[in-house]
Amino acid sequence: MTHKKQAMDRRLALKQLAWITGGAILIPSCDFSQKSVLEAYQKLQVTEAERETLAHVTNTIFPGVHLKKADEIGLADFVLVMANDCLSEAEQIDFCTGLRAFDSFSKKTFKKTFGKMNTSESADAFRTTMEMEADNNSAIASVKSFLGITKRFALQGYLTSNYYMTEIMPYKMIPGGFVGSKLVTEIERINPNG
Amino acid sequence: MANLNLQHKKENTFDAIVIGSGMSGGWAAKELTEKGLKTLVLERGKAVDHVKDYPTTNLSPWEFEHRGAIPEDIRKENPVVSRCYAFREDAQHFFVKDTEHPYVQEKPFDWIRGYQTGGKSLLWARQVQRWSDFDFEGPARDGFAVDWPIRYNDLAPWYSHVEKFIGVSGNKDGLPNLPDGEFLPAMELTAVENYFKTFVGKNYPGRDIIIGRCAHITGNEEFYAKQGRALCQHRVLCQRGCPFGGYFSSNSSTLPWAMKTGNLTLQNNAVVHSIIYDEQKGKATGVLVIDALTMETTEYYADVIFLNASALNTNLVLLNSTSSRFPNGLGNDNGLLGKFVAFHNYRAGISGEYEGLAEYATSGKRPNGGYIPRFRNVHKQETDFLRGYAAGFSGSRSILTDQSDIGENLEKSLLNPKFGTWRVGSHMMGETIPKEESQVTLDSSLKDAWGIPQLKVAVDYDQNDEAMIADYLEQMTEMFENAGFKNIRTRDDKRAPGLDIHEMGGARMGHDPKTSILNKWNQLHACPNVYVTDGACMTSTSTQNPSLTYMAMAARAVDHAVRESKS
Repeated sequence: MTHKKQAMDRRLALKQLAWITGGAILIPSCDFSQKSVLEAYQKLQVTEAERETLAHVTNTIFPGVHLKKADEIGLADFVLVMANDCLSEAEQIDFCTGLRAFDSFSKKTFKKTFGKMNTSESADAFRTTMEMEADNNSAIASVKSFLGITKRFALQGYLTSNYYMTEIMPYKMIPGGFVGSKLVTEIERINPNG
Repeated sequence: MANLNLQHKKENTFDAIVIGSGMSGGWAAKELTEKGLKTLVLERGKAVDHVKDYPTTNLSPWEFEHRGAIPEDIRKENPVVSRCYAFREDAQHFFVKDTEHPYVQEKPFDWIRGYQTGGKSLLWARQVQRWSDFDFEGPARDGFAVDWPIRYNDLAPWYSHVEKFIGVSGNKDGLPNLPDGEFLPAMELTAVENYFKTFVGKNYPGRDIIIGRCAHITGNEEFYAKQGRALCQHRVLCQRGCPFGGYFSSNSSTLPWAMKTGNLTLQNNAVVHSIIYDEQKGKATGVLVIDALTMETTEYYADVIFLNASALNTNLVLLNSTSSRFPNGLGNDNGLLGKFVAFHNYRAGISGEYEGLAEYATSGKRPNGGYIPRFRNVHKQETDFLRGYAAGFSGSRSILTDQSDIGENLEKSLLNPKFGTWRVGSHMMGETIPKEESQVTLDSSLKDAWGIPQLKVAVDYDQNDEAMIADYLEQMTEMFENAGFKNIRTRDDKRAPGLDIHEMGGARMGHDPKTSILNKWNQLHACPNVYVTDGACMTSTSTQNPSLTYMAMAARAVDHAVRESKS
């Protein structure tokens, strides 16, 4: 299967990346964050630093208060997979432009990057940004598209994650049957995957 | 050398050849091999063995890298197949990609194909409604096509024969326009579907809502265990291939059954170039095959040939089978081969919400839906358009979670889903009129990778279809409004013909060799040892999902072929 092979290649690339970053922690003077493009997402040409920026956003969407935090289920990587593979070219440009502008936009507007904010600060910054008026092709517009696309994929990835579909709203591959009229009072819990 | 040739000829000679291993080819193979005929099935695509070759069948949603979505690069390269509802990450390997098998669209036509053992029977929607005489008598009554040379009674025993074997879940509804069959226990309608059924029954005489009759095993387990198939488990992942054999496919049912007789040879990667016609003998003697991988050509021989390559490819094979006796294609004395192609009009749909029945919800999953049999122009012509439409109708209780916010609020709301309204929806399945100008031909210069001319398709909607769409939307809107459904939305997605995957005709059946290609036994009038029992044979389309009718015709035609050979 081609898609399996791609998935394998990507997993391999991510593994290699983990190894490289591990190395970077041991040798802090080696700064390659601006240059090293993540091979797993060739179309996006994102760097590790940009991936981190994105992870701050996904951790803002899922901060891990009532459920697992985005980082715990690798949500930023899922967003990158989808942005790399499943977006139209136009949306991809929006996403990347917004991602690249994001830290400086955040510094300018909120005096710090998402990485330096606590959960409620970054959530408020996210909401404020989404409510901002933006002219077409402005920096704010691209930041808003970036946040919109990230939220869409983050939500999709979360709701279809192994974690959510086994521990929170369990998915039953084999329901075994169908009841067309069941009294709501007889339903123990409402489960969209049940 | 002569001896070698003789030996080769003997090895490549069978009692029967079936071209195509899909829905109808699988049935021809089963019936032929059961009756003792050494049968060669030629399949142009790859081998797909039941269960073994269903790579995604047991994957959980999170195991798909794109969670079901098709990557943009594939979509851009393959716009036609990407429009098909079932072309998703879990089943994409069972669809022909546009780039692999090009064809020429004189008018937009989405040709959806499955080149593998089992063909599209792996992927079908599994609805199996019988035709009635209101359908078979339509062309003669309304004068829009030649008369069907068969009637319901000719096919009824074969419908039963097929239904018993494939397993059909349904109710005996007692409707004259949709005859009952051999049914296993029916699946349930939902609360809102039952409500609508009762409402429509009371207020619209002659209109009915029933649970679809679908090719799923819901009972009589011991009988189906002999095929290695088990009860449908309601996974609703059918398009991946079913490890239980819960729904019917050639892969799970007819082909393994035929294999067990010891009379079946299944040849994959066998692209049929043409049927060989012997002028001296005055009949077809075999098939010229190109190996899809090596490009090597081989001739296979048999006394009887079943052509089940799928509606349009069957036309292509016949058109490409030229000889001095048949310069315009096998059996094409009247020049009508490839003409009078039609399809089902799926363009329009409607949706709404129902706030009642709040005390009910559903539980589990259902690989089926409600069905509204044709109610227009059934007993007599009563509208300003010809014929009519059937419709799907389904309703389920929505589950809502507020996903508008982010952060802690989002997490909290995901933990607290709530029941919303019932969501109801319907889509039309309209009969289209076969027209002479709706046709497929061979392109004079473009060839495929095997040197076979590309098919050129020119099929379109007409005013009758537009009038029918308007009527469907008007009638359904009125019924929805009167039933108290809210937020009603109608749509006409303007899809091209073909996306219904119910293309039919081109080699229509009829009484008269001057105006039809096939006779009442599905034999070519002009070359009777060639039988066509797939969608190409259809004289008109009516509104029912057609696979059941193809299967019944295939079984009936084999019975005829075997009786002929003995007489």
